[in-house]
Amino acid sequence: MEILDLIQSNLLTPIVLFFLFGIVAARVKSDLRIPDAISEFLPIYLLAAIGLHGGIEMRNTGLGQIAAPMAVAVALSLLFTLNHYWILRRLGRFNMYDSYALASTYGAVGAVTFSVGLSFLAGQGLESEGYLAAVLAVLEPAAFILAIFMANMAAARQARKRGPAGGPAGGPAGGPAGAPRPRMASVLRQSVTGKAIAVLLGSIVIGYIIGKEGFEPISVVFDEMFVGAIVIFMIEMGVIAGRRLGDIREVGVFLTSFAVAVPTLNGLVGVLAATALGLSTGGAVMFGLLLASASFIAAPAVLRHAIPEARPGLYITSALGITFPYNIIVLLPVMLAASVWAHGLVGGTP
Amino acid sequence: MKLYPVKLLTVTCEILARDAVISILEGRGVTGYTTYEVAGKGDRGVRGSGLEGEKNAKVEAVVREEVLTGLVEEISQKLFADYALVLYVADVGVARVEKF
Repeated sequence: MEILDLIQSNLLTPIVLFFLFGIVAARVKSDLRIPDAISEFLPIYLLAAIGLHGGIEMRNTGLGQIAAPMAVAVALSLLFTLNHYWILRRLGRFNMYDSYALASTYGAVGAVTFSVGLSFLAGQGLESEGYLAAVLAVLEPAAFILAIFMANMAAARQARKRGPAGGPAGGPAGGPAGAPRPRMASVLRQSVTGKAIAVLLGSIVIGYIIGKEGFEPISVVFDEMFVGAIVIFMIEMGVIAGRRLGDIREVGVFLTSFAVAVPTLNGLVGVLAATALGLSTGGAVMFGLLLASASFIAAPAVLRHAIPEARPGLYITSALGITFPYNIIVLLPVMLAASVWAHGLVGGTP
Repeated sequence: MKLYPVKLLTVTCEILARDAVISILEGRGVTGYTTYEVAGKGDRGVRGSGLEGEKNAKVEAVVREEVLTGLVEEISQKLFADYALVLYVADVGVARVEKF
Protein backbone atom coordinates (compact mmCIF):
# COMPACT_ATOMS: atom_id res chain seq x y z
CA MET A 1 0.00 0.00 0.00
CA GLU A 2 2.98 2.25 0.46
CA ILE A 3 3.21 2.92 -3.28
CA LEU A 4 -0.45 3.96 -3.46
CA ASP A 5 0.04 6.32 -0.53
CA LEU A 6 3.04 7.85 -2.26
CA ILE A 7 1.12 8.29 -5.51
CA GLN A 8 -1.78 9.82 -3.64
CA SER A 9 0.37 12.34 -1.78
CA ASN A 10 2.22 13.11 -5.02
CA LEU A 11 -1.11 13.92 -6.68
CA LEU A 12 -1.66 16.71 -4.21
CA THR A 13 1.63 18.53 -4.81
CA PRO A 14 1.38 21.96 -6.49
CA ILE A 15 3.34 20.70 -9.51
CA VAL A 16 0.90 17.92 -10.33
CA LEU A 17 -2.17 19.98 -9.40
CA PHE A 18 -1.16 22.86 -11.68
CA PHE A 19 -0.44 20.43 -14.48
CA LEU A 20 -3.92 18.91 -14.11
CA PHE A 21 -5.39 22.40 -13.86
CA GLY A 22 -3.71 23.30 -17.18
CA ILE A 23 -5.31 20.24 -18.80
CA VAL A 24 -8.75 21.22 -17.47
CA ALA A 25 -8.28 24.81 -18.65
CA ALA A 26 -7.45 23.57 -22.16
CA ARG A 27 -10.40 21.17 -22.18
CA VAL A 28 -12.91 23.89 -21.28
CA LYS A 29 -11.33 25.98 -24.04
CA SER A 30 -10.06 28.68 -21.74
CA ASP A 31 -7.68 31.08 -23.46
CA LEU A 32 -5.23 30.61 -20.60
CA ARG A 33 -1.66 30.56 -21.88
CA ILE A 34 1.72 31.36 -20.41
CA PRO A 35 3.20 34.00 -22.74
CA ASP A 36 5.59 32.51 -25.34
CA ALA A 37 8.64 34.35 -24.09
CA ILE A 38 8.17 32.99 -20.58
CA SER A 39 7.52 29.42 -21.65
CA GLU A 40 10.66 29.54 -23.80
CA PHE A 41 12.62 31.09 -20.95
CA LEU A 42 11.60 28.64 -18.22
CA PRO A 43 13.34 25.51 -19.61
CA ILE A 44 16.53 27.57 -19.93
CA TYR A 45 16.14 28.74 -16.34
CA LEU A 46 15.48 25.20 -15.08
CA LEU A 47 18.53 23.83 -16.88
CA ALA A 48 20.71 26.65 -15.57
CA ALA A 49 19.59 25.89 -12.01
CA ILE A 50 20.17 22.15 -12.46
CA GLY A 51 23.58 22.78 -13.99
CA LEU A 52 24.70 25.18 -11.25
CA HIS A 53 23.72 22.74 -8.52
CA GLY A 54 25.43 19.91 -10.36
CA GLY A 55 28.62 21.89 -10.86
CA ILE A 56 28.80 22.98 -7.21
CA GLU A 57 28.32 19.47 -5.99
CA MET A 58 30.82 18.03 -8.44
CA ARG A 59 33.39 20.41 -6.98
CA ASN A 60 32.64 19.09 -3.49
CA THR A 61 32.65 15.41 -4.35
CA GLY A 62 35.34 15.42 -7.01
CA LEU A 63 35.08 14.27 -10.60
CA GLY A 64 36.23 10.69 -10.01
CA GLN A 65 32.80 9.29 -9.10
CA ILE A 66 31.19 10.28 -12.37
CA ALA A 67 32.86 7.82 -14.72
CA ALA A 68 31.02 4.60 -13.82
CA PRO A 69 27.44 6.00 -13.59
CA MET A 70 28.02 8.00 -16.78
CA ALA A 71 29.25 4.95 -18.72
CA VAL A 72 26.40 2.76 -17.45
CA ALA A 73 23.78 5.45 -18.22
CA VAL A 74 25.04 5.96 -21.77
CA ALA A 75 25.28 2.21 -22.41
CA LEU A 76 21.75 1.62 -21.10
CA SER A 77 20.34 4.57 -23.01
CA LEU A 78 21.81 3.34 -26.31
CA LEU A 79 20.72 -0.24 -25.63
CA PHE A 80 17.20 0.96 -24.80
CA THR A 81 17.07 3.05 -27.98
CA LEU A 82 17.87 -0.04 -30.08
CA ASN A 83 15.33 -2.04 -28.12
CA HIS A 84 12.65 0.65 -28.68
CA TYR A 85 13.36 0.57 -32.38
CA TRP A 86 12.99 -3.18 -32.49
CA ILE A 87 9.70 -3.09 -30.56
CA LEU A 88 8.22 -0.30 -32.69
CA ARG A 89 9.35 -1.66 -36.03
CA ARG A 90 8.71 -5.39 -35.52
CA LEU A 91 5.82 -5.46 -33.06
CA GLY A 92 4.23 -2.06 -33.68
CA ARG A 93 4.68 -2.17 -37.49
CA PHE A 94 5.65 1.48 -37.61
CA ASN A 95 7.59 2.62 -40.65
CA MET A 96 11.34 2.98 -40.34
CA TYR A 97 11.40 6.77 -39.90
CA ASP A 98 8.68 6.88 -37.25
CA SER A 99 10.38 4.01 -35.45
CA TYR A 100 13.75 5.73 -35.32
CA ALA A 101 12.20 9.04 -34.26
CA LEU A 102 10.15 7.45 -31.48
CA ALA A 103 13.03 5.21 -30.39
CA SER A 104 15.28 8.21 -29.89
CA THR A 105 12.56 10.35 -28.30
CA TYR A 106 12.25 7.67 -25.64
CA GLY A 107 16.01 7.09 -25.43
CA ALA A 108 16.66 10.79 -24.87
CA VAL A 109 15.89 12.55 -21.60
CA GLY A 110 13.37 15.17 -20.61
CA ALA A 111 14.88 18.13 -18.83
CA VAL A 112 11.50 19.25 -17.49
CA THR A 113 10.82 15.75 -16.17
CA PHE A 114 14.23 15.85 -14.50
CA SER A 115 13.33 19.15 -12.78
CA VAL A 116 10.04 17.73 -11.54
CA GLY A 117 11.94 14.70 -10.22
CA LEU A 118 14.29 16.93 -8.22
CA SER A 119 11.41 18.75 -6.59
CA PHE A 120 9.57 15.46 -5.95
CA LEU A 121 12.63 14.22 -4.05
CA ALA A 122 12.96 17.51 -2.19
CA GLY A 123 9.34 17.08 -1.08
CA GLN A 124 10.28 13.64 0.30
CA GLY A 125 13.30 15.08 2.09
CA LEU A 126 15.75 13.26 -0.20
CA GLU A 127 18.77 14.43 -2.13
CA SER A 128 20.43 13.09 -5.24
CA GLU A 129 23.98 13.10 -6.54
CA GLY A 130 24.72 16.41 -8.23
CA TYR A 131 26.78 14.84 -11.00
CA LEU A 132 23.57 13.45 -12.49
CA ALA A 133 23.25 16.86 -14.13
CA ALA A 134 26.35 15.98 -16.16
CA VAL A 135 24.80 12.62 -17.06
CA LEU A 136 21.71 14.53 -18.21
CA ALA A 137 23.88 16.65 -20.50
CA VAL A 138 25.53 13.62 -22.09
CA LEU A 139 22.39 11.47 -22.41
CA GLU A 140 20.41 14.21 -24.09
CA PRO A 141 22.16 13.99 -27.47
CA ALA A 142 23.34 10.35 -27.27
CA ALA A 143 20.08 8.66 -28.27
CA PHE A 144 19.42 11.17 -31.07
CA ILE A 145 22.87 10.68 -32.51
CA LEU A 146 22.48 6.90 -32.56
CA ALA A 147 19.00 6.92 -34.08
CA ILE A 148 19.83 9.54 -36.69
CA PHE A 149 23.01 7.71 -37.62
CA MET A 150 21.05 4.49 -38.09
CA ALA A 151 18.24 6.20 -40.00
CA ASN A 152 20.80 7.72 -42.37
CA MET A 153 22.51 4.36 -42.88
CA ALA A 154 19.19 2.65 -43.56
CA ALA A 155 18.13 5.35 -46.02
CA ALA A 156 21.45 5.06 -47.85
CA ARG A 157 21.05 1.28 -48.02
CA GLN A 158 17.56 1.61 -49.46
CA ALA A 159 18.80 4.09 -52.03
CA ARG A 160 21.58 1.71 -53.09
CA LYS A 161 19.03 -1.06 -53.54
CA ARG A 162 16.94 1.17 -55.77
CA GLY A 163 19.98 1.70 -57.98
CA PRO A 164 22.40 4.48 -58.82
CA ALA A 165 19.60 6.93 -59.64
CA GLY A 166 18.88 7.17 -55.91
CA GLY A 167 21.35 9.93 -55.28
CA PRO A 168 24.91 11.11 -55.79
CA ALA A 169 27.59 8.62 -54.78
CA GLY A 170 29.45 9.34 -51.58
CA GLY A 171 26.93 11.40 -49.68
CA PRO A 172 23.92 9.82 -48.02
CA ALA A 173 21.29 9.38 -50.69
CA GLY A 174 17.85 10.91 -50.74
CA GLY A 175 14.49 9.65 -49.58
CA PRO A 176 11.54 9.09 -51.88
CA ALA A 177 11.05 12.80 -52.49
CA GLY A 178 14.70 13.17 -53.48
CA ALA A 179 15.57 15.33 -50.50
CA PRO A 180 19.21 14.97 -49.47
CA ARG A 181 19.66 13.57 -45.97
CA PRO A 182 21.23 16.00 -43.55
CA ARG A 183 24.86 15.28 -42.86
CA MET A 184 25.74 13.60 -39.60
CA ALA A 185 28.16 16.37 -38.67
CA SER A 186 25.51 19.06 -38.91
CA VAL A 187 23.08 17.01 -36.84
CA LEU A 188 25.79 16.42 -34.26
CA ARG A 189 26.68 20.09 -34.09
CA GLN A 190 23.03 21.06 -33.88
CA SER A 191 22.27 18.75 -30.98
CA VAL A 192 25.40 19.56 -28.99
CA THR A 193 25.30 23.34 -29.52
CA GLY A 194 21.52 23.51 -29.08
CA LYS A 195 20.47 25.85 -26.29
CA ALA A 196 19.52 23.08 -23.85
CA ILE A 197 22.92 21.38 -23.83
CA ALA A 198 24.74 24.70 -24.11
CA VAL A 199 23.11 26.25 -21.04
CA LEU A 200 23.40 23.01 -19.07
CA LEU A 201 27.11 22.51 -19.76
CA GLY A 202 27.81 26.22 -19.28
CA SER A 203 26.10 26.26 -15.88
CA ILE A 204 27.85 23.08 -14.74
CA VAL A 205 31.21 24.67 -15.49
CA ILE A 206 30.21 27.94 -13.83
CA GLY A 207 28.84 26.11 -10.77
CA TYR A 208 32.11 24.19 -10.53
CA ILE A 209 34.08 27.45 -10.65
CA ILE A 210 32.00 29.50 -8.20
CA GLY A 211 31.38 26.80 -5.60
CA LYS A 212 29.08 27.19 -2.61
CA GLU A 213 30.22 30.68 -1.59
CA GLY A 214 29.86 32.06 -5.08
CA PHE A 215 26.35 30.60 -5.32
CA GLU A 216 25.17 32.33 -2.14
CA PRO A 217 24.22 35.71 -3.72
CA ILE A 218 22.25 34.09 -6.59
CA SER A 219 20.60 31.33 -4.59
CA VAL A 220 17.36 33.32 -4.24
CA VAL A 221 16.83 32.99 -7.98
CA PHE A 222 18.33 29.58 -8.68
CA ASP A 223 17.40 27.73 -5.52
CA GLU A 224 14.40 29.19 -3.76
CA MET A 225 12.47 30.01 -6.92
CA PHE A 226 13.13 26.65 -8.58
CA VAL A 227 9.96 24.79 -7.59
CA GLY A 228 7.79 27.87 -8.11
CA ALA A 229 9.14 28.24 -11.63
CA ILE A 230 8.34 24.60 -12.41
CA VAL A 231 4.80 25.20 -11.18
CA ILE A 232 4.33 28.08 -13.64
CA PHE A 233 5.76 25.96 -16.42
CA MET A 234 3.39 23.12 -15.50
CA ILE A 235 0.39 25.32 -16.37
CA GLU A 236 1.76 25.64 -19.89
CA MET A 237 2.62 21.93 -20.11
CA GLY A 238 -0.89 21.09 -18.93
CA VAL A 239 -2.50 23.40 -21.48
CA ILE A 240 -0.44 21.94 -24.33
CA ALA A 241 -1.04 18.36 -23.19
CA GLY A 242 -4.76 19.13 -22.77
CA ARG A 243 -5.03 20.42 -26.32
CA ARG A 244 -3.41 17.25 -27.56
CA LEU A 245 -5.67 14.88 -25.67
CA GLY A 246 -7.80 14.50 -28.79
CA ASP A 247 -4.72 13.44 -30.78
CA ILE A 248 -4.11 10.48 -28.49
CA ARG A 249 -6.69 8.55 -30.48
CA GLU A 250 -4.47 8.92 -33.53
CA VAL A 251 -1.50 7.65 -31.54
CA GLY A 252 -3.23 4.29 -31.22
CA VAL A 253 -3.41 1.56 -28.62
CA PHE A 254 0.02 0.12 -29.36
CA LEU A 255 1.92 3.39 -28.98
CA THR A 256 -0.13 4.35 -25.92
CA SER A 257 0.87 1.11 -24.21
CA PHE A 258 4.45 1.61 -25.39
CA ALA A 259 4.45 5.12 -23.89
CA VAL A 260 3.62 3.69 -20.47
CA ALA A 261 5.31 0.27 -20.46
CA VAL A 262 8.68 1.27 -21.86
CA PRO A 263 9.38 4.11 -19.37
CA THR A 264 8.34 1.81 -16.51
CA LEU A 265 10.74 -0.92 -17.60
CA ASN A 266 13.60 1.48 -18.40
CA GLY A 267 13.10 3.37 -15.15
CA LEU A 268 13.09 0.30 -12.95
CA VAL A 269 16.17 -1.12 -14.67
CA GLY A 270 17.79 2.27 -14.09
CA VAL A 271 16.90 2.29 -10.38
CA LEU A 272 18.38 -1.20 -9.91
CA ALA A 273 21.53 -0.40 -11.90
CA ALA A 274 22.06 2.82 -9.92
CA THR A 275 21.56 1.01 -6.62
CA ALA A 276 24.16 -1.56 -7.67
CA LEU A 277 26.49 1.31 -8.58
CA GLY A 278 26.15 2.66 -5.05
CA LEU A 279 24.01 5.75 -5.71
CA SER A 280 21.83 7.06 -2.87
CA THR A 281 18.09 6.32 -2.68
CA GLY A 282 17.26 9.67 -4.26
CA GLY A 283 20.09 9.37 -6.77
CA ALA A 284 18.79 6.01 -7.96
CA VAL A 285 15.33 7.55 -8.55
CA MET A 286 16.85 10.35 -10.62
CA PHE A 287 19.00 7.85 -12.53
CA GLY A 288 15.88 5.81 -13.28
CA LEU A 289 14.03 8.97 -14.30
CA LEU A 290 16.82 9.87 -16.73
CA LEU A 291 16.27 6.55 -18.50
CA ALA A 292 12.47 6.61 -18.20
CA SER A 293 11.82 10.12 -19.46
CA ALA A 294 11.12 11.05 -23.05
CA SER A 295 12.20 14.26 -24.69
CA PHE A 296 9.47 16.59 -25.90
CA ILE A 297 11.12 19.98 -26.10
CA ALA A 298 14.48 19.11 -27.64
CA ALA A 299 13.22 16.16 -29.70
CA PRO A 300 11.05 18.01 -32.23
CA ALA A 301 13.75 20.57 -32.95
CA VAL A 302 16.38 17.90 -33.62
CA LEU A 303 14.18 15.30 -35.30
CA ARG A 304 12.27 17.60 -37.67
CA HIS A 305 15.65 18.50 -39.10
CA ALA A 306 17.30 15.08 -38.95
CA ILE A 307 14.42 12.71 -39.77
CA PRO A 308 11.85 14.98 -41.45
CA GLU A 309 9.91 11.98 -42.79
CA ALA A 310 8.82 10.98 -39.28
CA ARG A 311 5.45 12.29 -38.10
CA PRO A 312 6.00 14.76 -35.24
CA GLY A 313 2.38 14.29 -34.12
CA LEU A 314 3.34 10.79 -32.99
CA TYR A 315 6.42 11.49 -30.96
CA ILE A 316 5.30 14.80 -29.43
CA THR A 317 1.85 13.57 -28.46
CA SER A 318 3.05 10.31 -26.93
CA ALA A 319 5.97 11.91 -25.06
CA LEU A 320 4.10 14.95 -23.78
CA GLY A 321 0.52 13.72 -23.65
CA ILE A 322 1.08 10.26 -22.19
CA THR A 323 4.58 9.60 -20.90
CA PHE A 324 5.20 12.92 -19.16
CA PRO A 325 2.04 12.85 -16.99
CA TYR A 326 2.55 9.15 -16.30
CA ASN A 327 6.16 9.72 -15.26
CA ILE A 328 5.52 12.61 -12.89
CA ILE A 329 2.32 11.26 -11.36
CA VAL A 330 2.78 7.48 -11.19
CA LEU A 331 6.29 6.40 -12.08
CA LEU A 332 8.19 8.73 -9.73
CA PRO A 333 6.54 7.30 -6.58
CA VAL A 334 6.87 3.78 -7.99
CA MET A 335 10.59 4.27 -8.62
CA LEU A 336 11.04 5.73 -5.15
CA ALA A 337 9.42 2.65 -3.62
CA ALA A 338 11.62 0.43 -5.83
CA SER A 339 14.70 2.35 -4.80
CA VAL A 340 13.88 2.10 -1.08
CA TRP A 341 13.30 -1.64 -1.54
CA ALA A 342 16.51 -2.18 -3.54
CA HIS A 343 18.57 -0.20 -1.03
CA GLY A 344 17.10 -2.36 1.72
CA LEU A 345 18.32 -5.44 -0.13
CA VAL A 346 21.89 -4.22 -0.51
CA GLY A 347 21.86 -2.81 3.02
CA GLY A 348 22.65 0.74 1.93
CA THR A 349 21.50 3.83 3.78
CA PRO A 350 18.01 4.81 2.66
CA MET B 1 8.41 57.15 -60.61
CA LYS B 2 9.25 54.08 -62.65
CA LEU B 3 8.68 50.67 -61.04
CA TYR B 4 10.44 47.55 -62.36
CA PRO B 5 8.56 44.24 -62.37
CA VAL B 6 9.96 41.49 -60.13
CA LYS B 7 8.49 38.54 -58.23
CA LEU B 8 7.62 38.29 -54.57
CA LEU B 9 8.04 34.73 -53.30
CA THR B 10 6.26 33.98 -50.02
CA VAL B 11 6.75 30.73 -48.13
CA THR B 12 4.61 30.07 -45.06
CA CYS B 13 5.92 27.03 -43.25
CA GLU B 14 6.45 25.36 -39.90
CA ILE B 15 9.22 27.20 -38.15
CA LEU B 16 11.54 24.18 -38.21
CA ALA B 17 11.58 24.36 -42.02
CA ARG B 18 12.53 28.05 -42.04
CA ASP B 19 16.28 27.52 -42.04
CA ALA B 20 15.99 25.00 -44.88
CA VAL B 21 14.02 27.54 -46.96
CA ILE B 22 16.58 30.25 -46.24
CA SER B 23 19.50 28.04 -47.18
CA ILE B 24 17.82 27.20 -50.50
CA LEU B 25 17.29 30.92 -51.14
CA GLU B 26 20.91 31.70 -50.33
CA GLY B 27 22.17 28.74 -52.34
CA ARG B 28 20.54 30.26 -55.40
CA GLY B 29 22.01 33.68 -54.91
CA VAL B 30 19.07 35.48 -53.31
CA THR B 31 20.65 38.28 -51.33
CA GLY B 32 17.84 39.32 -49.03
CA TYR B 33 14.72 38.02 -47.35
CA THR B 34 12.32 38.88 -44.51
CA THR B 35 10.97 36.44 -41.94
CA TYR B 36 8.12 36.66 -39.45
CA GLU B 37 6.76 34.33 -36.83
CA VAL B 38 3.11 33.73 -37.59
CA ALA B 39 0.17 31.56 -36.57
CA GLY B 40 -2.60 30.04 -38.62
CA LYS B 41 -4.51 27.01 -39.72
CA GLY B 42 -4.00 24.61 -42.58
CA ASP B 43 -3.70 20.99 -43.61
CA ARG B 44 -1.97 20.07 -40.39
CA GLY B 45 -4.41 21.78 -38.07
CA VAL B 46 -4.04 24.97 -36.06
CA ARG B 47 -0.40 25.89 -35.78
CA GLY B 48 1.44 28.57 -33.91
CA SER B 49 0.22 27.91 -30.40
CA GLY B 50 2.06 25.48 -28.23
CA LEU B 51 5.67 24.44 -28.10
CA GLU B 52 8.36 26.56 -29.63
CA GLY B 53 8.96 24.19 -32.53
CA GLU B 54 5.31 24.17 -33.49
CA LYS B 55 5.12 27.79 -34.56
CA ASN B 56 4.83 28.87 -38.15
CA ALA B 57 7.14 31.19 -40.00
CA LYS B 58 6.76 33.25 -43.12
CA VAL B 59 9.70 33.92 -45.41
CA GLU B 60 9.43 36.60 -48.10
CA ALA B 61 11.95 37.30 -50.77
CA VAL B 62 11.88 39.59 -53.78
CA VAL B 63 13.55 37.79 -56.69
CA ARG B 64 14.10 38.21 -60.39
CA GLU B 65 11.98 36.12 -62.68
CA GLU B 66 14.94 34.12 -64.04
CA VAL B 67 15.81 32.58 -60.66
CA LEU B 68 12.21 31.98 -59.61
CA THR B 69 11.54 28.68 -61.44
CA GLY B 70 14.65 26.99 -60.06
CA LEU B 71 13.86 28.22 -56.56
CA VAL B 72 10.29 26.98 -56.58
CA GLU B 73 11.38 23.62 -58.01
CA GLU B 74 14.04 23.11 -55.38
CA ILE B 75 11.73 24.05 -52.50
CA SER B 76 8.97 21.77 -53.74
CA GLN B 77 11.36 18.88 -54.34
CA LYS B 78 13.11 19.09 -51.00
CA LEU B 79 10.43 20.28 -48.59
CA PHE B 80 6.87 19.70 -49.82
CA ALA B 81 6.72 16.04 -48.81
CA ASP B 82 7.86 16.35 -45.21
CA TYR B 83 6.97 19.81 -43.95
CA ALA B 84 3.86 21.90 -43.44
CA LEU B 85 4.53 24.48 -46.13
CA VAL B 86 2.64 26.77 -48.51
CA LEU B 87 4.29 28.71 -51.26
CA TYR B 88 2.97 31.44 -53.52
CA VAL B 89 4.29 34.06 -55.91
CA ALA B 90 3.05 37.54 -56.68
CA ASP B 91 4.03 40.20 -59.21
CA VAL B 92 5.37 43.30 -57.52
CA GLY B 93 7.18 46.42 -58.63
CA VAL B 94 10.36 47.81 -57.12
CA ALA B 95 12.05 51.15 -57.57
CA ARG B 96 15.62 49.96 -57.43
CA VAL B 97 15.83 46.77 -59.46
CA GLU B 98 19.61 46.54 -59.12
CA LYS B 99 19.15 45.49 -55.46
CA PHE B 100 17.65 42.12 -56.43
